[in-house]
Amino acid sequence: MTTQELTAGSEVDIVEASRTNLWKDAVARLVANKLAVIGIIPIVLLFFIALFGPYLTPYDFLAQDFTARLAAPSSEHWLGTDELGRDVLSRILYGARTAVSVGLVSTAISLIVGLIMGSLAGYLGGRVDFMVVWLTDVTRSMPALLLAIVINLTLKTPLEAWMEEMYLATKNGFFRQTMWVDLVLVFGALALIQWPGYARLIRGQILSIRSRNYVLAARALGMPTGRILTRYVIPNAMGPLIVAVSAGLGGAMVLESAFSFLGVGVQLPIPSWGKMISDGLRMYRTHPHLLAGPAVMMAAITVSFAWLGDGLNDALNPRQWGG
Amino acid sequence: MSVLLDVQGLQTRFRVRKGYVYAVNGVSFSLEEGETLGVVGESGCGKSVTMLSLVRLLPPAASIENGQVLLRGEDLLQLDLRQLRDVRGGQIGMIFQDPMTSLNPFINIGTQMSEPLIYHRGMSKREALARSAELLEMVGIPDGEARLREYPHQFSGGMRQRVMIAMSMSCEPAVLVADEPTTALDVTIQAQIVELVKELRDRSGVAVIWITHDLSVVAGIADRVIVMYAGYIVEEAPVDALFEDPRHPYTVGLMGALPSLGGETGNRLTTIGGSPPDLQDLPDYCPFHSRCPYAIDRCRTENPILEPVTDASDRGHRAACWVDIREVEVQSNGAGASS
Repeated sequence: MTTQELTAGSEVDIVEASRTNLWKDAVARLVANKLAVIGIIPIVLLFFIALFGPYLTPYDFLAQDFTARLAAPSSEHWLGTDELGRDVLSRILYGARTAVSVGLVSTAISLIVGLIMGSLAGYLGGRVDFMVVWLTDVTRSMPALLLAIVINLTLKTPLEAWMEEMYLATKNGFFRQTMWVDLVLVFGALALIQWPGYARLIRGQILSIRSRNYVLAARALGMPTGRILTRYVIPNAMGPLIVAVSAGLGGAMVLESAFSFLGVGVQLPIPSWGKMISDGLRMYRTHPHLLAGPAVMMAAITVSFAWLGDGLNDALNPRQWGG
Repeated sequence: MSVLLDVQGLQTRFRVRKGYVYAVNGVSFSLEEGETLGVVGESGCGKSVTMLSLVRLLPPAASIENGQVLLRGEDLLQLDLRQLRDVRGGQIGMIFQDPMTSLNPFINIGTQMSEPLIYHRGMSKREALARSAELLEMVGIPDGEARLREYPHQFSGGMRQRVMIAMSMSCEPAVLVADEPTTALDVTIQAQIVELVKELRDRSGVAVIWITHDLSVVAGIADRVIVMYAGYIVEEAPVDALFEDPRHPYTVGLMGALPSLGGETGNRLTTIGGSPPDLQDLPDYCPFHSRCPYAIDRCRTENPILEPVTDASDRGHRAACWVDIREVEVQSNGAGASS
């Protein structure tokens, strides 16, 4: 009877019979994808220099050396110096920290907001669903950069004023550091732009998975809701979410650079690749090294995240598991 | 034999944009210990919704408006969710139409099978896995212990349905509800699954409700059959009586549409003309009358009630029709359907 069954079953079963674990499977698929592996290397490097970058160079990213302004790359300054005689390599390394922290924090915020809003919409349905979808539509209908600029312009002054008041009231030094205002605004603006994407993805995942047969089957077996959520719904929603987060991290870093490029990003002394690109652009004919360093980093990271995202998508897409 | 499951006046409807879809309209039937009940009817006649209503596994838009579902005297519709979960899987097991999508692709078979055992039976993980291996062998999957570590995509459709059956039977339920379990499988596998369920039923004494639109499957497995149409039970009879002496025009139509092997050749298969009524706007008279070749005036004014048929060979033979169709000559099939 079983031999009959096996021949009657699809070939896929026989081909895949050697596999044992879906996650291992996904990792194997990812490793087999050359572009994804190539993409992982710069990303790992990026996180490494974000953590240890400032300790790797002899120069402080703020140290100005007026005797060596706009120096071309040399053995002393590998990537040259800028207008103020600051070491470009040090600034790029420190800029990685800005990019990574902005990417991680804003992605985390938007993911959390998106998870909450998306699950509420998916689970409760009805009016809540309508409201959430409406909110995401409204947010997404506005141009992202414009929205960020509006937030920055309208909130920055009152927020700084509020912090000043708080400082006067509490004498707490924390409120003196207006650097935080910029960071909070950048995180906030990025999260505001990105949460609707996550919310819609999660809502869609929940709606689709909740109506899958295996969830019905699990309910028919009397499994409690919590267990169905953790064992059935969440693992099955993970694939697309991981892909979205990987793409979103890269996207957030690019967006942060765009903000800085336009002058609404992080506050000035903190190096940001976008700001460096925008500064370098003014004199790229005479001093191309100012533009080349941050631009190449930016491009490499963007492409790497895109490749990794593609690889993850291929590795985690259930449609490719054969049944 | 004693009554195991007694369903009285069950009504389920779905909320839609404009009003309601009346899917189940006062369905009453009973199931005895160890009995196999076939439920037949075309797509959308309320078979599945009726059975999902038993354990309240309905989608959010659906609500049970009326009725009682007594399992050994306890009304399942009055239970709170916690008690109901013990019934699901513990007292009433279910298997579904599409085995390809009924298993969670992310968990291996062993973990998946042991969850209900751990949850309902309080077994340890180790005990549950051992029991799961036995269950796999019981449903005809050899080398069960090795296969526990495998994932659903490593099983064929027939195998997955065996796994589903093993899972639904794992906590020794009193009732097994099989919702078209063979529809998505090819014919040879269908026969194997029917045989498997029969074998398990005979061994464990579980009562089975087998939902299908395939009369030939019902003939092979059921003791008694109910025929559903537009959310009503239109006929109910022991399986032999139903096939030998169908009393509802709809049942007659279904039989006429069934090809027979070994019968005289040259007989045309008949069809039932027209289409089922709009469940959103059900008439308060016989819902079948517009398709019925036997329809009389009364059929357009009053909805027939399910009552014992005259001269029945079995007391349990009931039909919902105003006409005694044995007394009526029909010139051509579908005379009433042309409208």
